[in-house]
Amino acid sequence: MDVNLRFDLSLDSEEPRRIAEQFERFGAENGLPARTIFGFQLALDEILTNVISYGFTEDAQDAVITVTLHLTDSEVGAVIVDNGKPFNPLEDAAEPDVALPASDRTIGGLGIHLTKAFVQKLTYERVDGCNRLNLVQPLEAPEDDA
Amino acid sequence: MNVETSQTGSTAVAAVSGRVDSANAKEFEEELSAIIDKGATGLVVDCGELNYISSAGLRVFLIAIRKTSAAGGGLALCRVPDHINEVLEISGFSRLAKVFETVEEARGSFG
Repeated sequence: MDVNLRFDLSLDSEEPRRIAEQFERFGAENGLPARTIFGFQLALDEILTNVISYGFTEDAQDAVITVTLHLTDSEVGAVIVDNGKPFNPLEDAAEPDVALPASDRTIGGLGIHLTKAFVQKLTYERVDGCNRLNLVQPLEAPEDDA
Repeated sequence: MNVETSQTGSTAVAAVSGRVDSANAKEFEEELSAIIDKGATGLVVDCGELNYISSAGLRVFLIAIRKTSAAGGGLALCRVPDHINEVLEISGFSRLAKVFETVEEARGSFG
């Protein structure tokens, strides 16, 4: 099995939901585990929401944001590429203190904290003026019937 | 997303269904704020039909926790699906809001 899908996004706050729902369909069609489907929706939603909200100036005309999904027998992955401001979410995002009481809690950094918890392998690089975030989740081999 | 509410005394139940994400978190915040502003101090959010929540939805929970706590009540969640429960655990929100199995237990926690 080798499936690839590519999406081009506009600078619109509804786009993260569109991609999350596309992944939900993609995951269901290909029989991915429910937790993987949920985790990738969350990761794509959180990362893309950050990119669209903070990666570009409001009047940016040349914004390019792409998401590529790939699926093999052994893993599912997504690559998010954008030509916005340099931002490495794995290092530049504030780490939230999840032990604080409600009065002191903030939501900053929580999206990437959840992404790290739900997706096993995350790597970032800045290449050719673009942020490139790679998300990979190994898939367990199906039970052998023999 | 859809929110259906009912209120008995000072305790309200909001049953939320569908998805809560950054695109509709503002609307969810307005729904919960309207309930609290009408005098509910104990707010139960029934998550039984909630399929998805992101950090934008957790922010709305945080606002509701602060508002209800300031009024001497609080926020309780019930019928939380497994993956959403995992989100609550990872984010520390399972310590900020009590999580119950049923609507009755959640409502009962406010006396």
